[in-house]
Amino acid sequence: MSQFPHYQLPKGLRWIKSSSGWLLPIFLIAFWEIAARNGWIASKILPAPLDIIHAAVNLSLSGNMTQNILISTKRAAIGLLIGGSIGLTFGLLNGVFKPADRFLDTTIQMIRNVPHLALIPLVIIWFGIGEEGKIFLVALGVFFPIYVNTYHGIKMADPQLLEMGRVYNLNPWQLFTQIIFPSALPSILVGLRYALGFMWLTLIVAETIATTSGIGYMAMNAREFMQTDVVVLAILIYALLGKLADSAAHLLELKLLQWHPNFRRTKNA
Amino acid sequence: MPIPNINILKAGPSYSRPEPTLNPRKPKMTVFEIKPSNTLSGIEIEIKNLSKSFGDIKVLENLNLDIKPGVFVAIVGRSGCGKSTLLRLISGLDRADTGTITSDGKAHQSIDGDARFMFQEARLLPWRSVIDNVRLGLKKFQFPKALNSLREVGLETRANEWPSVLSGGQRQRVALARSLVHEPRLLLLDEPLGALDALTRIEMQNLIERLWQEHGFTSILVTHDIFEAVTLADRVILLNEGKIDLDLEINLPRPRQRTDVELNRLSEEILERILTSPIAS
Repeated sequence: MSQFPHYQLPKGLRWIKSSSGWLLPIFLIAFWEIAARNGWIASKILPAPLDIIHAAVNLSLSGNMTQNILISTKRAAIGLLIGGSIGLTFGLLNGVFKPADRFLDTTIQMIRNVPHLALIPLVIIWFGIGEEGKIFLVALGVFFPIYVNTYHGIKMADPQLLEMGRVYNLNPWQLFTQIIFPSALPSILVGLRYALGFMWLTLIVAETIATTSGIGYMAMNAREFMQTDVVVLAILIYALLGKLADSAAHLLELKLLQWHPNFRRTKNA
Repeated sequence: MPIPNINILKAGPSYSRPEPTLNPRKPKMTVFEIKPSNTLSGIEIEIKNLSKSFGDIKVLENLNLDIKPGVFVAIVGRSGCGKSTLLRLISGLDRADTGTITSDGKAHQSIDGDARFMFQEARLLPWRSVIDNVRLGLKKFQFPKALNSLREVGLETRANEWPSVLSGGQRQRVALARSLVHEPRLLLLDEPLGALDALTRIEMQNLIERLWQEHGFTSILVTHDIFEAVTLADRVILLNEGKIDLDLEINLPRPRQRTDVELNRLSEEILERILTSPIAS
């Protein structure tokens, strides 16, 4: 993907290049550990990394942590699936059909400008603190990035290619599947990556406010007992899950956009 | 255009369907020769009283033109003289204001299945491999034809690559293969060589001429390069302000030599005529 010329490292040091993204975090964590051990940071405010690992081991041994991670991941996935497919459907619909666009876009833009997290009190009234409320919020959060990027991607389809498709007597369905949708795909995938960010963000907030299970609940519960190590652990789990989701989306990009010069890894000519 | 050994291809996993064997040394012998006869004959075009305006600007005015089947016609003229518009009207991509265009005596309403259009840009789908681009609009059982067509333009070894790794000339050759796979009876060329370098251009001209001779379709080439027009065409039409200013038969034997005195003289004559004609304000 790099736009810059490659420089060659000696063979034994190649790993530095491939893992250079991790060097800074490792250094920061090492520094943090030293600072906590020497008492520069009070453990009630920020516990040492090793203490957090300790907490992680204890919690996973009791099965508590795994349980909460699974519950949170499930909420995120279901929300993404519902909100994402609705966003994709409306994005495609409004991108392709002008009448649908005229009829629906104003409404969608109005709803988009309401911060969806502001709906939490209302959502609690509607759904209580069960699963539905959280899934509803996540779905709402991921809907817009996917909708906007799908819509934009379709509008960006090259009119020259569409004209070419007409010359080749492609029917509307073929035009859509062979020209319009593939042109929109890079944009849709960008939307997906944004949506994943919104997905975790929404879930974190929803889980800390109204819930009896999940990672957010684990953190809020720990706060009551001043278990800062568990609180920090919860934050780290969110970060890790977020990174995993983003990497998955990136892999999807590499797979689906092989044709695009910017996404090509190696090409045997 | 050298045709590489076919055996290289047979090694490919996905295209190993049984195909008629070709003698690699005889590029002129193609599988198209065993097709029904109508694919070998060009279409006849009759244009009557054709007019087209964009807003207040009259681009074409009462144009009349007959094109005999299988003839190679080149349309030249200043930019903005209406030559591309005329080509788009013939193709059915745009509609005329008044007048009729008939192909083989039938008026056509929309894009004709017998006609194919080559644009200045190759317009390949970047997300499809070269071979899949050539297959555009083909039915599954016709897929073997795509490889034959690629072979005719000498690019069968690049079949599985992405268009983005090809050079400009190669992309145009793929576009040409994509047009020819449908066995068109009319090939419309809208400055398809305009963006190519001089050398690639000469190669493409030879390729187009060779394929036109083999397939026998009617060809209409719009170009700003008068020398190219005279080299390729049987008939050169000069448009000026939406009217035919000159309609010249080129009776030079083929293959034409670029150094031919008569050919150069004709080019000069047409160029002179364009330069001395009044410029529309």
